[in-house]
Amino acid sequence: MAKLHIAYETGEPDRVIEFDPGQAPFQHDGQPGSILDVMLGHGVNLEHACGGNCACTTCHVIVKRGMEHLSENSETEDDLLDRAPGLTPTSRLGCQAVIDEGEVTIVVPRYTINQQVG
Amino acid sequence: MSDSLPFAESKVPLAPVVDSRTPAEAVIERIVAHTSEARSLFLRPTQRQHLTFKPGQFLSLSLPVDGEVLTRPYSIASNPADGEVLEICLNLVPNGRGSHYLFSLGVGAKVRFTGPWGTFVLEQPPAAECIFIAEGTGIAPIRPMIQRALACDGQFFVRLLYGAEYEQELLYRDELQDWMSRHPHFTCEAILRSPTATWTGLRGSLIERAEQQYVRRDDNRARHFYICGVGTPVLQLRDLLRGAGYQRRAVLYEKW
Repeated sequence: MAKLHIAYETGEPDRVIEFDPGQAPFQHDGQPGSILDVMLGHGVNLEHACGGNCACTTCHVIVKRGMEHLSENSETEDDLLDRAPGLTPTSRLGCQAVIDEGEVTIVVPRYTINQQVG
Repeated sequence: MSDSLPFAESKVPLAPVVDSRTPAEAVIERIVAHTSEARSLFLRPTQRQHLTFKPGQFLSLSLPVDGEVLTRPYSIASNPADGEVLEICLNLVPNGRGSHYLFSLGVGAKVRFTGPWGTFVLEQPPAAECIFIAEGTGIAPIRPMIQRALACDGQFFVRLLYGAEYEQELLYRDELQDWMSRHPHFTCEAILRSPTATWTGLRGSLIERAEQQYVRRDDNRARHFYICGVGTPVLQLRDLLRGAGYQRRAVLYEKW
């Protein structure tokens, strides 16, 4: 079993999801077993404007604990993260970071670069 | 009163903020079938004020299919200067539930979307020779990018390398020809993997041509690349160019 703790910069209440990674995928967007897959499959929304196809940064999350339980970044993920606002050394795209076992804690940032003023 | 007030004190009202997250609705105003498997939908937003976007961005459509809502991205193929109607250009993807749904819609149908989204954009005037590489409907985000680049002063070459399997999959050909005739610094090369006997243009793959033109031909590594297409060929092009010495941030791409 694995556990995903989710905190929000917006101040929304934290969420905790316990799940069996062997049961992934939990729905159809993002890499099977990814943070996005786990959240959406357990009724917790995470923005994913590109459908979880690693083509935007709207599912940017900051990993606070448990980085060792996540799959490695690909070059494509890093290229996109380069353009994510509030990038940190432990930033990941929720659609790409696959949780194996153990506990992972993330923070969902408040803003994305895609907000526009028009 | 001075006319050089600090921005924060300006009396000019600021435009209201429009958040890309805000769900919006659009009506399909027109449909253009490029081929039996590629078409453009022209979307007129119904509720929100004029939507501004950057060349290269996409809309995120919420599609009700089989009792669930699919989130699917579609690049905006029109130019921000074209007005309120947004063109999206898409392929009918085998077993693709989103594209099959959109192909089933007619003029007057409504679609829900958020956006614009995406950081694969060209905002500034080119600061170097720009090479756009597109495959099939991958031309969609590239098209407004080229228009933006051509609207600048023409100090640098703007080149399009456009590939497809078959000739009919090369979209917007008349328009590209027109741009070439009007902009001496714009060039367009079309390359087909499976041409007919009458095809007089280039034959082969995008990656072969890119290697020939932009890796082997000279030592210039100051070019900027914008690549869009489907699947691993996009990543192969990225790796080819970065591996040849182009700066990582000079090789931008969108892989669908």
